[in-house]
Amino acid sequence: MPLNMIGKFALRLGAVAAVALLVGCATPPPDDDPEAKADFEQLNDPLEPTNRAIFSFNEGVDTVILKPLAQGYRAAVPAFGRDRVSDFLDNLKSPLYLGNDILQGNAQNAGITVGRFVLNTTFGVLGIMDVADPMGLPGHQSDFGQTLGVWGVGEGPYLVLPFWGPSNPRDTTGIAVEWFADPVDIYLEDQHMKWLSWTRTGVSAVVLREQYLDVLDDVKRTSLDYYSAMRSLYRQRRAAQINAGKDPGKYAPPPKSVSSQPPATTQKAQAPQ
Amino acid sequence: MTILRRTLIKAALAFGLAVSLLPAAGRADEPNPSAFIEKLADTAISTVADKSLAEQERDERFRKLFVSNFDLPSIGKFVLARYWKTATPEQQTEFLKLFEEQVVLTWAKRFKDYSGEKLQVAGNTKEDDHNWLVDSAIMREKGPPVPVQWRVHDTPDGSLRITDIVVEGVSMAITQRQDFTSTLQGIGGKIDALLSAMRTKVDQLKAEG
Repeated sequence: MPLNMIGKFALRLGAVAAVALLVGCATPPPDDDPEAKADFEQLNDPLEPTNRAIFSFNEGVDTVILKPLAQGYRAAVPAFGRDRVSDFLDNLKSPLYLGNDILQGNAQNAGITVGRFVLNTTFGVLGIMDVADPMGLPGHQSDFGQTLGVWGVGEGPYLVLPFWGPSNPRDTTGIAVEWFADPVDIYLEDQHMKWLSWTRTGVSAVVLREQYLDVLDDVKRTSLDYYSAMRSLYRQRRAAQINAGKDPGKYAPPPKSVSSQPPATTQKAQAPQ
Repeated sequence: MTILRRTLIKAALAFGLAVSLLPAAGRADEPNPSAFIEKLADTAISTVADKSLAEQERDERFRKLFVSNFDLPSIGKFVLARYWKTATPEQQTEFLKLFEEQVVLTWAKRFKDYSGEKLQVAGNTKEDDHNWLVDSAIMREKGPPVPVQWRVHDTPDGSLRITDIVVEGVSMAITQRQDFTSTLQGIGGKIDALLSAMRTKVDQLKAEG
């Protein structure tokens, strides 16, 4: 790696780390009203009106551009081809996964990431075939928002980002860090092939949307309020990924802290009769 | 020496017998949440996979299976959260009726997309005298298994009922609770408005099949 590239990388990392420190702190809920506190903890959405406006904007963009592209992609490319594309894109993210595995102190995952990258890049022909998975090295994803969570940084208030969707200050920081610090993007820029980075971003968006076509349709179809269902799903999912990162090897327990106890307690109150 | 050996053998036999009897004795009064989930998955899969059944018959069986294995009234109360207390008994009854309808239609559709995945039950942990968490995973053809946890409790008659499904760390009950309470906040906490929104949703789900 040329020296000026490493220099650029370090500079970007430093700039982004400063931003991360600024937005990292979470706001604690008020203690006096237990029901209000429960609601606040449950919803964690002080910017709800703004978030809802951006959410509808994103919905519009999705309906007009992203979803039709994803549907077209599904119709045009058979499942085998789509798997090759997503395997290739996933392999390109290996440097980011590895960085986060290391920052999370997860030696086992870091080893898996290295093993997968070596096997898939060579025997898997530049990553288009995930040959490591059937060999007992299943893939995992790790990102910098999750790393911050593992370090104990709170999520902060729920945010909906334009174009991007559900997030929060912690995960937004993670997106920004990875945007600037991705070694693949830095390499491409260095080679004056920035357009390839943009192509990769666009293709990744369509590929991801295709993978979520059925799930998002299901959530929209079955929820009363799509916005709050998405908010709840996003927050629980992120909490679970961070718990898994904190306690590798054991899957995250259900998020008891998100609200009061799940239905079991209603039964307990009735049980002695 | 021989006496000692014989005693040892007898002791070993007695110990073996005791060990083999112990869990059996425990099983008689202790419910077995893992077996409960395993059996439910088998029945659900055989019902969905049975192509000889007419669609209506299959839907009917699925509903029966669902209603008899999930504690829908408990889940419904949890989902309505603090608004449960503000609802009149008539509203509560109507809510539970619509809730059952909505949940059954939701899962019936999800099960129609079933394509041969297997559920593997790993074991369960006891949370307290009446609650268990059953760990399982959906084994897919490609990709890592999807972890699914089942929250199970016992009812006064001793039978087990599911109160929550947690898929990859996402609790269905909590998601619904937040969906419902947000909806209620948006309409000023009016239960009747929620019931009519639920009626619209149920009609939509029925129309889509």
